[in-house]
Amino acid sequence: MLHKRIYQFLIVYAVGLSVLFLVKYGLNLSDYVIPPPKEVWITGQKYWLEYLREVLDTLSVAVFGHILSILLAAVVAVIGRLTNWVGSFIKMGAYNIQSYPIVAVAPIIFILFGDGIAARLLITVMICYFPLLLSFIGIFSEPVYHIEHFYTATHRLTWGLSLRIRVFENIAKLVTVISGSATVAMVGTIVAEFIAADDGIGYRIRIALYQSDLSKILTALFLIGICTSLYLLSLEYIGLRIRKRPGISAGSFS
Amino acid sequence: MSFRNPVKVLLLSILSGFILLSSAFGWEESQDIAYRLKWLANTSTVGDLYADARGMFAENGLKVLVKPGGPERDAIKELELGRAQFGVASADQIIRALSKGAKIYVLAQIFQVNPLQWIYRPDKSPLDKPADLKGKIVGITYGGIDENIMKALLSKYRISESDLTLYSVRYDFTPFYQRKVDLWPIYRNAQGPIIGNKIRDAGEKIDYFDPDAHGIHTVANSVITSEEVLNHHPQMAARFMSALIKGWELSMDPVNAEKAVQTIRQFDRDTDEDIIREQLALTRQFVKPRKDVPFGRIDVPAWKQTEEMMVAQKLILRPIGIDKYLKQAK
Repeated sequence: MLHKRIYQFLIVYAVGLSVLFLVKYGLNLSDYVIPPPKEVWITGQKYWLEYLREVLDTLSVAVFGHILSILLAAVVAVIGRLTNWVGSFIKMGAYNIQSYPIVAVAPIIFILFGDGIAARLLITVMICYFPLLLSFIGIFSEPVYHIEHFYTATHRLTWGLSLRIRVFENIAKLVTVISGSATVAMVGTIVAEFIAADDGIGYRIRIALYQSDLSKILTALFLIGICTSLYLLSLEYIGLRIRKRPGISAGSFS
Repeated sequence: MSFRNPVKVLLLSILSGFILLSSAFGWEESQDIAYRLKWLANTSTVGDLYADARGMFAENGLKVLVKPGGPERDAIKELELGRAQFGVASADQIIRALSKGAKIYVLAQIFQVNPLQWIYRPDKSPLDKPADLKGKIVGITYGGIDENIMKALLSKYRISESDLTLYSVRYDFTPFYQRKVDLWPIYRNAQGPIIGNKIRDAGEKIDYFDPDAHGIHTVANSVITSEEVLNHHPQMAARFMSALIKGWELSMDPVNAEKAVQTIRQFDRDTDEDIIREQLALTRQFVKPRKDVPFGRIDVPAWKQTEEMMVAQKLILRPIGIDKYLKQAK
């Protein structure tokens, strides 16, 4: 039986496709603007395997980029919570990098890393880490008074201990944020491939756009949706297992 | 008003959706004519900008909104959706759209010679004849017209794709600057003076490989309209084209060169005037290569060659008889 994430995606995709065909036939648009259902079906049959390989390639980069983003966001958030000059400098740097449009930064990335896997990963991380960073900063900076005050009163509260308490007490939030950011990682990788790669589904979408071939784009979107849903599903499963570990569901550090 | 009732919320959402859709698809009445360019406002669109800024459309009683194009803006789709009445598209786009049932017609061909060429360093990659491409790393935009042109050239000169390395290019020239790629596709009139000067300033020699000089005659930017406009508003189409051709004629006349440069500067403030002057002189060679060629002439044999090339490369399934869709504006 299909998991609800998959059939929810199938419903959304089917509704989107129906609206597109409704517009096509309602406005009497040519097959150049919106392809007919038969063409979409034939293109899907012809390209699904080739595109699936590309989507899996993209997904592998997205997963790796996602992990790097989590690590980077955690490191920046930990340093950023320091109240000294270094902390605020790191935080400001992270915010500034995020404000630059990737297409404008792309030439610098090409010069430094070429246009292979390193550039794809870097762009993915740049796009994905910021939402994670904001959440991490919020969580790491918010004291858990009802636990921390015991250690504060006995002068045993170190920054490492306070961090562990805050992570432990907010594990459910962290899991939600991390699994939610998986889609951003996938989008980031596709954007990276669109502007900086010769592989992956983003690159194939770029070619299809040049050829004004919406059937190929719809095939790619379908596969991206399915694979992203499966990735989300895996993350949610891991999150569920973490939350079910003894002590965590109770949310008790003490 | 309460939003607790899900049926109400659903109905409101559908209503809002219809309102958004109706505005998005241009169902509202408008007196303005929209003209969607193929690319951003630059020297390649000088005649269009000149006709707009110097009042040629207004003289013909038309209120025209000239809209810059871009990689994700397709004039053909805009014509079908009623968001534009005229547009500029390349021959490959037009032929592909016609093969899929688009109801459009070509009214004029702006560029008589396709300005798409390949820039290279003659000292590093000597290139006298197409056979010299063997062993080179050649940049192409997969899915773009330059891919089709290069493949047609290779086919014409019986060069196998395995004899050279095709490199996928994007907007960024870094791989060419870094000498990773020997030949890079470029629009000779618009990008040539900018990129070429940059490389020359670095003390390197450059040259251009022109597929047209080797018998690959393809068509670049052309003016199109929809069947609906041509059948129901022929007078308006005639007035529009007359103003547009006049704009191109005047902007290409060396006597008006300074006016043309200033017109481009109104729309493109990022390019130096000296570069624009150089671009303008080059554009003249592609738009009016000989005195006896009238502005906007549709080069039927070049269109047929473009169509044959697309059939040969299986970009369209069968010939469409392109000459049926070429309606030379008087």
